[in-house]
Amino acid sequence: MNNTFNIQRFGKILKHDGLNFFPNFILSLAILWSIPVVIYLFTALMPTDGTKQIYDAMSRVNVIDALLKIAIIIAPAILYKTCNDSRKGIGYAMLPASTLEKFLSMVIFCVIVTPIVYIAGALAIDSILAIINGPYDGFALSMYFDKFSQIEYSFEQHGTKVMLDDALPIFINNLSPAFMRVLSILGILMLSSIFMFGNMIFKKRKTGKMIGILIILFIIFMIIFINYVANNEALANYFEQINEDNVSEFIIRLIRIMMNVALYTEIIVSTLLLWGTYRKIKTQKY
Amino acid sequence: MIKISNLDFAYKNSQVFKNISLEFKKGNIYGLLGENGVGKTTLLKLICGLQKPQHGSVTVDGFIPSMREPDFLQNVYFLPEEVITEDTTPEKFVQKIGVFYPRYDFALFNQLMKELEVDLTKKFNELSHGQKKKALLACAMSLQTDYLFLDEPTNGLDIPSKALFRKVISQYCSDETTVIISTHQVKDVENLIDPIVILDRDDVLMNASFAEITDKIYFEYGPERLQNAYYTEMLPGGYINVMPNTEHLESNVNIEALFNAVMKNKETIKNLMK
Repeated sequence: MNNTFNIQRFGKILKHDGLNFFPNFILSLAILWSIPVVIYLFTALMPTDGTKQIYDAMSRVNVIDALLKIAIIIAPAILYKTCNDSRKGIGYAMLPASTLEKFLSMVIFCVIVTPIVYIAGALAIDSILAIINGPYDGFALSMYFDKFSQIEYSFEQHGTKVMLDDALPIFINNLSPAFMRVLSILGILMLSSIFMFGNMIFKKRKTGKMIGILIILFIIFMIIFINYVANNEALANYFEQINEDNVSEFIIRLIRIMMNVALYTEIIVSTLLLWGTYRKIKTQKY
Repeated sequence: MIKISNLDFAYKNSQVFKNISLEFKKGNIYGLLGENGVGKTTLLKLICGLQKPQHGSVTVDGFIPSMREPDFLQNVYFLPEEVITEDTTPEKFVQKIGVFYPRYDFALFNQLMKELEVDLTKKFNELSHGQKKKALLACAMSLQTDYLFLDEPTNGLDIPSKALFRKVISQYCSDETTVIISTHQVKDVENLIDPIVILDRDDVLMNASFAEITDKIYFEYGPERLQNAYYTEMLPGGYINVMPNTEHLESNVNIEALFNAVMKNKETIKNLMK
């Protein structure tokens, strides 16, 4: 039998990990699902002065999105908590499946199954609450997969007048839905790969330590970036040329650069950390 | 066959094995004996691929264990000393892992659970330590792997359970199965193991079958302590003397006395058994 990949064996490891998915993760998922319900109940039951607090669908989409990220962050440490433990991880290491099969199963459950299960549950709960005549207006379900609506909403909430009037239509017209979806999916993959890797390199307090490392890396990056921007004459000259006539063009250009940087960062970071996770599964000593 | 050649292994600050070579032949129940901390568990982990040698090689039927290839893993099972269980019943646990092992037999699992007197309906966390150990032993044996590695399997078992353990191992392990039982409680595996491997710090002091041992060492039970004995111990009603078997007399191995004799005369007995 092929020792690198065998579809039957892969099916078995998927089933094995699948049988552990709900017993291990259901409590955490339930807590994450219940947060919007708590917000709903809190708002619905609070005495008001007559004006009704309304949560529109898009703001709830943002809450669901934020909680989805939490689900992705905690998933590896909950589902594969013991796989690098010198005592408790022996069973996982000795399971007759190849490293590639174990790795792919881990990726499937952390990157695909966790988001699907979380989003399905969260949107189902949101839809039920939206039917009841409470503070929920509209269905999050109808907007969740429309990334452009989310961007427009974000601009409306946080953008400047210039961006709303001039930059946004051009910006949206220049981006393809496929690009936005790829960016969004790669974002999930990158986030998951960071915490899958953290789960393999740390023995205890895996998620906390990885968040700590990310904060430190972010601070280091910001110091380097700010120093670079502050000391770069060419960049300073470029900024000086910005005026009211070309600010829209500048913003579009800036956003495009940021989008491309995000895309390449997501691809590079995900690839490196997934490779690191694979290597750790293969070489972990017990 | 398990072949260990010129193996060096060390943890961060302590050398465990230095240039050791050793073979485990198929179809035997080996007793891996040694004092605490000599590396019995480490040796089992090296054979299972849970650790990687720093120098030298370990092969199991031609497989390099540290590669952890599925064809190798489906033929070995390691039962660690520490009881680590999931929040499930032994039945569900064995069904979950059994699918990976080609000769897994659920009927055998049920039979072993009955023989070992473990309640099938209870979850692991509702079982006592000894019951958990017996349930895990039933799981391990029902997988029917070619190699079964048991690390201190009798720790935490009561006296009747130790007898049951010996019974199921001798009764249900096929002639093709190689079992390595690591223990420092030699009495628990008496009449079960043959051959014996005795480990020392950095070294292997003995790897011999009972026939080879009694060919060179004589176990004399008598009223007095003999001067030329490697080791003498007072027993109820007399002494046991472990001596060189110069006259090729027949005797029965007393594992505990043998172990103590080897520990007191490391180089002498190591050279004698070469």
